[in-house]
Amino acid sequence: MQHTLSILLQNEAGALVRVAGLFAARGHNIDTLTVAPTADPAVSHLLLTVRGDNAVLAQILQQTRKLVDVLQVQHATHA
Amino acid sequence: MPLLKPTPAADAEQAIARHPLAGTAMSGADVVVQVLADEGVEVLFGYSGGAILPVYDAVFRHNAEHLKADGSEPMPLVVPANEQGAGFMASGYARASGKVGVAIVTSGPGATNMVTPVRDSAADSIPLVVICGQVSTQAIGSDAFQEAPVSNIMSSCAKHVFLVTAADKLEATLRTAFTIARSGRPGPVVVDIPKDVQNATVVFDGQEELPLPGYRARLRSIEQATLSDAECAAFFQALADAKRPLIYAGGGVVGSGSASLLREFVAAFGLPVTTTLMGIGGFDTTHPLSLHMLGMHGTAYANYAVEDCDFLFALGARFDDRVACSPPQFAPRAKYIAHIDIDPAEINKVKQADWQHVGPLDRALQRLIQYGKAHGHQPVLADWHAHVAALKRNHSMNYDRDSALIQPYAVLEEINRHTQGRAIFSTGVGQHQMWAAQYLDFVEPRHWLTSGSMGTMGFGLPAAVGAQFARRDALVIDIDGDASIRMNLGELETVTTYGLPVKIVVMNNVGDGMVRQWQKLFFKGRFASSDKSLHRKDFVRAAEADGFAWARRLENREELASTIAEFLAFDGPSFLEVMIDPDAGVYPMVGPGASYSQMITGEFIPSRAVAKTGEAVASDAF
Repeated sequence: MQHTLSILLQNEAGALVRVAGLFAARGHNIDTLTVAPTADPAVSHLLLTVRGDNAVLAQILQQTRKLVDVLQVQHATHA
Repeated sequence: MPLLKPTPAADAEQAIARHPLAGTAMSGADVVVQVLADEGVEVLFGYSGGAILPVYDAVFRHNAEHLKADGSEPMPLVVPANEQGAGFMASGYARASGKVGVAIVTSGPGATNMVTPVRDSAADSIPLVVICGQVSTQAIGSDAFQEAPVSNIMSSCAKHVFLVTAADKLEATLRTAFTIARSGRPGPVVVDIPKDVQNATVVFDGQEELPLPGYRARLRSIEQATLSDAECAAFFQALADAKRPLIYAGGGVVGSGSASLLREFVAAFGLPVTTTLMGIGGFDTTHPLSLHMLGMHGTAYANYAVEDCDFLFALGARFDDRVACSPPQFAPRAKYIAHIDIDPAEINKVKQADWQHVGPLDRALQRLIQYGKAHGHQPVLADWHAHVAALKRNHSMNYDRDSALIQPYAVLEEINRHTQGRAIFSTGVGQHQMWAAQYLDFVEPRHWLTSGSMGTMGFGLPAAVGAQFARRDALVIDIDGDASIRMNLGELETVTTYGLPVKIVVMNNVGDGMVRQWQKLFFKGRFASSDKSLHRKDFVRAAEADGFAWARRLENREELASTIAEFLAFDGPSFLEVMIDPDAGVYPMVGPGASYSQMITGEFIPSRAVAKTGEAVASDAF
């Protein structure tokens, strides 16, 4: 199952690397990734899609929430 | 800490006490040292180099200007042989003290040598702050001398990394690094500081921290989580329905300072306790309800109790593969699993919990004790206690006591007779580590320092050095192996340089014993690169060369007791190499990916099942 995650991220040095690195280190392939600015210049909006069952999704959501730069993670959609 | 917390009695107009140096202009390097001093840092571990020189100079000046009444430095900087040593010293210090360990290294190789201790600390949830020098901001990305992409490298293995690109953020960043390292699930935080930032002049604030809205909001909700009456009632209802409840306690019990509350919980409700490797010391191993360690090399009686329990209460533990070797078959009769952890990602990661709580363990235990007592919960566990006592009696640890060769277990039993659960022990990784975990007693937490999750050979000696700085008066003993100690043998010199009375035991089985054990089991005894009988190292002479006045080799079992007594009694650093039976194995053993019912107990520990014969096959399990 493909899942879209919506992540709000603080614009710090290396913050994007830490998100991408977490997914890679835990064996997830990021299928698509877009990064866009938000109204707050200190915050970026990431949209990324990954595949996996519900347990896999729950675990990667929890792990993403442990990243210090991450403000918010939401499971946007699944197809 | 000179930062005074405002009290109701304090001047109402001055809500927060100002730092005496607030508003003072100083260099970035001086800011670093001032924040360290404010955080209560009492020892630093590190190796200098070009990109960190301004900070080293600031440490030197700080120490010279703030000598203590006894003439000692307030923040001595302990120099290892290699930066990895500094990292493990900081880790040993943190593990033994419960405080944040601090290491300071230079850019490039200094920082990359620190990668292993950083990953090791993250995996064992140990709070560190690692400060790395970095090339100047304008040189970053130019392949400059001693440049490495530390932020990228450390991002994969630290709890968090900061690359300080603006001098005016340095103070808040470093202070925040301490907050992150010690809060929630503790871990290592790396602060990468370009040399120009160290040299820049900034105005000191005295209390500034970074806002980190996401992290702080999540932390607050976890730290404020409390158990409702309904949750407590559900817990005690399930406990009342259970006949064989068991506590499985992990490193979180030690890390959160909950050992005394665990003891209180056990006193109130009578649950027996088994701990993980990291949880050793979280519960007094000499307590009648202690089952010692569970898992791949856990005691047979602990593993049988896990097989038999119908209620499992996991505290600050994460069902890792050395415990839940085969998750579906782990605690197969447990009808109810309750799990408390500070990290939400550990709940339901490996094993589905029926009852869960994410929050500080000390408060959760306190609340459960209070609720259980108030509602008169008193589980009737006489049969279970008798069963557990029988397991301990019938499947106790044992070995070949008649062998002419020195048995490693006998060495540990003899040391244990002297230390009585009161000494601090560090270890390397491998057979000697497991034997030490099995045969030594620990009455209190923070006395057992071992590289649990990462399993880093070479951890023992530098960790012992760090622990001795944390506990100057304690007896600190490094139980090491010949292969493990080789990895950081250079730190022998650090022991004598700083006059530390560390005791080092090398159990020499002439090779990588644990690797050989697996090669015997899974590779038909082909000892690929694990036999070191052709190595010509003379460990005793190596220790003597590094200034050990007491360095001996023990080869006869008749001299075991007298040699160990002399070794431990020596006033100062001492080094004992013991030539042990090279074929001694670690038993019990639950094979990788196997269930506890398939546990091999070896020749000397009675098993309650007839082990299947036939050769084990190599598998992908590790």
